[in-house]
Amino acid sequence: MNLYNAQRPTLNFQRSTNRVSALNVERWTLSVGRFLLTLFFAVTAVAQVPDAPQASQAPAAPPPTSNQPAGSSAAAGPKFLGKDAPIFDPANEIVAWDGHSWNLNNNRVFEARFEKYLNAPEETSAQAQDYQTILRTILDKLSPEKVSIKNIDEAFRLLPRASNFDIDARLCDALADAVYSVWRAQDASQRLAQANEALEQERKANEWNARIASQRTKLEGVPPSKDKDAAEQWAKEQQLARDFSMQPYTTRLAEILATIKANQAKKELTTLEAKIEFQALFLQLFLQRRFQHVLIGTRFYRGIFSSGESKLEVGTDMKDLFSKSTGMPPTVGTMDALANEAIRDVRESIQSFRFLLQKNELQSASKRLAEAFSVGEFLPEVRTLPRDEKRRVLEFSQKNYQLISSIEVKDYGLAAKLVKELDAMAKDFDESKPLAAIETARTVSGMHLAKARNAAVSGDKATLEAELKQATEIWPRNPALVEVSGLIFSQADVQQKALVDLDQLISQHNTRQIYNDKLRFIAAAALYPDRQEQLKKILDQMQVIETAIIQAGEIEKRADYAGAWETLEKAFKENPDDSKLNQMRATLTTEAAEFVRTLRTAEQLEQKDEIGSSLAWFLKARKLYPASEFAQNGISRLVKKVLPEP
Amino acid sequence: MARRASSSVNPWWVGGVIILVLAAMAGGWGLYKNVSDPYRTLMPLDVSAYLDNANSLRGNVYKLNATIDTQLAWAPLEGRLYSVEVNGRSDVLAVLIPATFNSMNIQKGQRYFFKIEVGDKGILRVRDIRKV
Repeated sequence: MNLYNAQRPTLNFQRSTNRVSALNVERWTLSVGRFLLTLFFAVTAVAQVPDAPQASQAPAAPPPTSNQPAGSSAAAGPKFLGKDAPIFDPANEIVAWDGHSWNLNNNRVFEARFEKYLNAPEETSAQAQDYQTILRTILDKLSPEKVSIKNIDEAFRLLPRASNFDIDARLCDALADAVYSVWRAQDASQRLAQANEALEQERKANEWNARIASQRTKLEGVPPSKDKDAAEQWAKEQQLARDFSMQPYTTRLAEILATIKANQAKKELTTLEAKIEFQALFLQLFLQRRFQHVLIGTRFYRGIFSSGESKLEVGTDMKDLFSKSTGMPPTVGTMDALANEAIRDVRESIQSFRFLLQKNELQSASKRLAEAFSVGEFLPEVRTLPRDEKRRVLEFSQKNYQLISSIEVKDYGLAAKLVKELDAMAKDFDESKPLAAIETARTVSGMHLAKARNAAVSGDKATLEAELKQATEIWPRNPALVEVSGLIFSQADVQQKALVDLDQLISQHNTRQIYNDKLRFIAAAALYPDRQEQLKKILDQMQVIETAIIQAGEIEKRADYAGAWETLEKAFKENPDDSKLNQMRATLTTEAAEFVRTLRTAEQLEQKDEIGSSLAWFLKARKLYPASEFAQNGISRLVKKVLPEP
Repeated sequence: MARRASSSVNPWWVGGVIILVLAAMAGGWGLYKNVSDPYRTLMPLDVSAYLDNANSLRGNVYKLNATIDTQLAWAPLEGRLYSVEVNGRSDVLAVLIPATFNSMNIQKGQRYFFKIEVGDKGILRVRDIRKV
């Protein structure tokens, strides 16, 4: 019988027991799926054992010494599976357990195991096939329609053989040990039953002896009828004699009854212990997702225990785990059905995986394979999957995990690159979620950077730092962040250097250099009003010089050297330190030498208060250059001295 | 036909007459020059010296032949200040024509003989003026 048939008896059992309605079956199946996925996480964290049997279920155990209810002893210490049962939310593939949440597709433990599986070769060796053949044979012999003492013994003998394979991890040995323990317990119970039979015989003999002893006492004489006191005394003596004669038999009878009761308790306890041990084993196998071994265990259990003993003796938490997940109390039948359902689910997932792989829908394929692997890691459908097929999703999965990691560490540049690659790789890749996260982060980071830029321009250092910090927190590896930070900090450096240069040039009266780098100094002095005012004066002054130079240049083009010189001379009187002005003025002085000399002589004579001569020179200068302002001004000054206005 | 007798003027006579006429013209011009300069007894102003250092000429009286250029200023009580171009030079001088000559119509381009005194601070003060 293969595994396909293995689940049929269980389903028949489900129908025969009629414990679930037809409508409940569908709900139950969905619950099983959730339960199976939940199992993977439960088993990776905790070694699974049922709670200790409650006091009421173990007659030999001492009664509770306090008012604390039985079964609540675990409340003080760590409870099974933490404080809550794990819950799997299929909508977002998140498992919630004990106040923590794990994404099914983003779990380091799962990721490592899954990658190891994807890189492992398929288990299609003869050894693996032999192992599966043995397991199928065992299941076949233990199937309900074939189960018999002979078949149970044969199946039992196959367990050590299956255990020799490495993949079995000696689990079949554990099953064999459990079965053997039950048989030993059953033997002990048998011996106790035989002892009780012997004691029962002895009890009956004692009861008979006691009855005979009491009758024999009545036959020894007749009480005197005349003397009433004597008759009473005789009756008392007779009663005392009867009691003495019956006492050994009644004492022994009480002893025998006590021994019988004790043996009965021992028998029940031995059987219960063996049953609990067996249940714990296949419950553990179930939580380890060794579903084939679970089926073997449950079928052995049914074969060696009588009917009506299928209820699992588990603790409250485990009961809750089953009842909340599947809606059913934990029984051997439930375990059997869950295991069969898991096997079927894994088989279907693998079929789905292969189909999706053909369609190049790698995202769905990888999800189906991850689901199949998480539930049926040890099932042959998963183990025999060809490595070439697995490798196709390996690259996709690695990039997918890389994408998740890159988004977690907020490396949205890498994430965007991976999204593009994944989109090209798998035609069913849903890029909306990662892209939304990436774009949101980019936008928000960009907004903070823009604010940081504005703050930098306005000199608001506090806002600049805060915005840069927020932009960094949102997208630490934002290339624009590096660019803007560098820009801002380099700007700060440039600004400081420019301010130092400005101060130095001002002290040197090198207004020409300040004017040449005016843009740099304007930007640098923008945040310093005092320097700004100083710079404004210098630039205004330089503007006058530049205007004069331009005007002189234009006048010079007309060969009006005196006019050009005079234009520069006016600027020179106010700005004698400008090199460019001096250079051009010197050139024009040569070109308009006679005019300049005339004017200079006039000025010198004016200074000597030789008004007549000075006036003559000014007049001569005006003759040389009639438009001369200097000459006209000089003439006006001197005329006023000669003929003061009334 | 009989030859006519020769009656031509002696060329020597003609040459002598021409020389006499020219001599008469030159003498007339020289006489005119001397007679027309009203300040022929005065020294002409050494313009170059004046321009270099007017103080050295202060208090002296000179004659100046110049053409009116521009009126620089006018004060009814003090007189008029003109710029004049010195004849034969490119120099321009400023001369103060006192109010005593206010009755004269002095205009640009008119040529005058000035009798001038180099006054305080080198100011050329006109003491007399004759139109050329």
